[in-house]
Amino acid sequence: MAAKFGSESILVQRRPDYLTGEMRSPAPAGHNEVKEHWVPMNAHGSFPRWTKRAAGIATIMAVAIGLSACSSAADDNKPAAGGEKGDVLLVQGIRSLSNSYHANWAAGGDLFGESVDKKVIVLSDEADSQKQLSLVKGLAAKGQVYALNIDPNTSSDTEAIVRAVTEAGGYVVTQWNKPDDLNPWDIGDHWVAHIAFDGTGIGKDVSQTLFDSMGGEGGIIALQGILDNKPAKQRFAGLQEALKANPGITLLDDQTANWSRTEALSVTQTLLAKHGDKVKGVWAANDEMALGALEALKAAGMAGKVPIIGFDAVPQALDEIKSGTNKYVATVSTDPWWQGGAALSLAYKAATGEIDVSKLSHDQRAFYAEQSIVTKDNVEKFTQAPTLEALKPDLDDPFKRFSAPIN
Amino acid sequence: MSQSGPQVADAPATGTPSRTSGPTPPDPTTPGTLARVRGLIGGGGPAVALVVLIAFFSIATPNFFSVSNASSLLSQLSILLVISIGLTFVILLGSLDLSVEGVMASSSLVFVLLASNDRNDLSLGFIALIAGVLTGSLFGLLNGVLHVYLRVPSFMVTLGTGAIGVGLATVLFGGRAPRLMDDGLRGLGFGNFGIFPKLALIAILVLVVALLVQKFTRVGRYGYAIGGDEPVVRLSGVNVERYKVLSFVLAGTGSGIAGVMAAMQLGVGDVSIGAGFQFTAITAVVLGGTALVGGIGGVGKTLVGAAIITVLANGLILLGVNPYVQISVQGLVIVVAVVATGWSLRKRVRAIK
Repeated sequence: MAAKFGSESILVQRRPDYLTGEMRSPAPAGHNEVKEHWVPMNAHGSFPRWTKRAAGIATIMAVAIGLSACSSAADDNKPAAGGEKGDVLLVQGIRSLSNSYHANWAAGGDLFGESVDKKVIVLSDEADSQKQLSLVKGLAAKGQVYALNIDPNTSSDTEAIVRAVTEAGGYVVTQWNKPDDLNPWDIGDHWVAHIAFDGTGIGKDVSQTLFDSMGGEGGIIALQGILDNKPAKQRFAGLQEALKANPGITLLDDQTANWSRTEALSVTQTLLAKHGDKVKGVWAANDEMALGALEALKAAGMAGKVPIIGFDAVPQALDEIKSGTNKYVATVSTDPWWQGGAALSLAYKAATGEIDVSKLSHDQRAFYAEQSIVTKDNVEKFTQAPTLEALKPDLDDPFKRFSAPIN
Repeated sequence: MSQSGPQVADAPATGTPSRTSGPTPPDPTTPGTLARVRGLIGGGGPAVALVVLIAFFSIATPNFFSVSNASSLLSQLSILLVISIGLTFVILLGSLDLSVEGVMASSSLVFVLLASNDRNDLSLGFIALIAGVLTGSLFGLLNGVLHVYLRVPSFMVTLGTGAIGVGLATVLFGGRAPRLMDDGLRGLGFGNFGIFPKLALIAILVLVVALLVQKFTRVGRYGYAIGGDEPVVRLSGVNVERYKVLSFVLAGTGSGIAGVMAAMQLGVGDVSIGAGFQFTAITAVVLGGTALVGGIGGVGKTLVGAAIITVLANGLILLGVNPYVQISVQGLVIVVAVVATGWSLRKRVRAIK
């Protein structure tokens, strides 16, 4: 999860995704979002008097630009849908290339581009929703049918993006964020599909990995994400299912550490003081918290004795899994290369007419994709890009990793 | 001090008007040790609340009053305390510093990236540590200068510089938390010295220095006066601007030290390393008895405020309070504590707008 900041700091909280409990892609670049919400306040507040006038002018300009953008988007420079195979533009919409998750996502898209012998355009919005939308609208100016695979910044951005794509006659696959009550078929055939990841099933499986490494017996402590956060709930539900199947395991305590490494450290300290040696395993709803818990275990001299699991496959967690010295036994990966490659392939196939979107079922147009458990045995697969050959079956059939319908 | 004794009263003939007119049986100028401590940490509300909480959790849970929990309490208190101490100097002025999280992010990353780490080949040892702390001081200086000389409300300025801090940290972060590989530096803040967490030793050092600054330096003394009535202080010829800026530098330095401490504790520099500390630290300061309007309070009081918050968070977990209601219970206890604290002051201090 990108969500890391504590929930209690209302005064300085500026992360709508936590407050609304949205799905977030597991990119550390979530940090970037902070900028977006701070800067406008700063610009208004920092320099009184002349700034007020400047702000007034800026507002008028912004409105004017906004109006012109709207009208140009509504203009009839709409290319004919289902363009020639040759001139479909491949586009990725990601947050930033500076975090490994989205960099891998982009690399997966490049693999697909290689397979159809095309260059892929990468739009990186640096976690700025306005920028993201204007980049997408800018695509219309190219006058070409395009296939877009995008990670919308927040759920509320999704509708504007897919409508802009529909206006321009492009084809889009969205991932992670969309409003619950909005589905691709509500908008039309240009919003090909929405892909997300369900934490429940994989949460159960990765919990089982933890229990197996404990020998099926003993007490565990669980660190939850922000409690009203959707993936936090799903992952914890997965843990509870696994607990039902393993009567030898007891959940000693579950506490929230708000996705934060720092908080996880202090919560784990307290839980270790409370339960001491009874703690035989640590379950964390993301890798950040798992890594914080690991530091608490180290301080208590218990590192390497107590197995830990997390979610999201952040680089440091993968390193820990690879080295194995601290018994970091598993994490969960959504496979960013697949997200970048297969979903772009789906949008492309819709744009070329190879897939007739109107014939896809609702299940296929809003689905949860499979995730993988990363352990020491397969960690290499998640630290480096797959070959085109390895990814080819997923590119040919974008629904290969279909796991369950969202609705 | 001793001239207020009876023998001075015997010598009014020296010409100076007697300042010790009237009998003063309980000599107020030579307080006992207890009274001194009370003066430092503030008597009444907060201290009582802290004692009540400790007593309650000791009785209600078997693990609260144990060596291992005491040790984890101290280490949990340390970082919060250092931030809150810095903030106290600014809140005493009647200002606010909202850049804590951004400053901590930057200072932790500067520290880790200059020390031996897994990102680059630098290994500057102590210089890295000092650079990390100075990053905080520089942010404080920037806050102070922008606030004082450009006359921008402090919470606006610091909100902005905090964003700059997060932005700077995000650039340094580069998508992956750099790890601190210098075991010597890490060892300064990680683990225990006997049963005493090393972080707590750093925090105590900071506390002592801060108490001395508050008591014996101009920036400490004038802080109260400026927070109490700035125009009067200005009229009496004090360079108010200078001392206000210095107070912000102290706050920034506190956040800088806290960022470095957190990096030592976690072994990484991270953009979100200060997550959640901003609001908690303000709460600690106010809970301790430093008024947001300025002029009243002090570093010693902040110690009590920070301790209450730490004990509460720890105790509620030990008590097994459902995490869904924990945050509400924390809020409730804080509200009650603040009301109890402010009860005797409610006529003197007008409500905070």
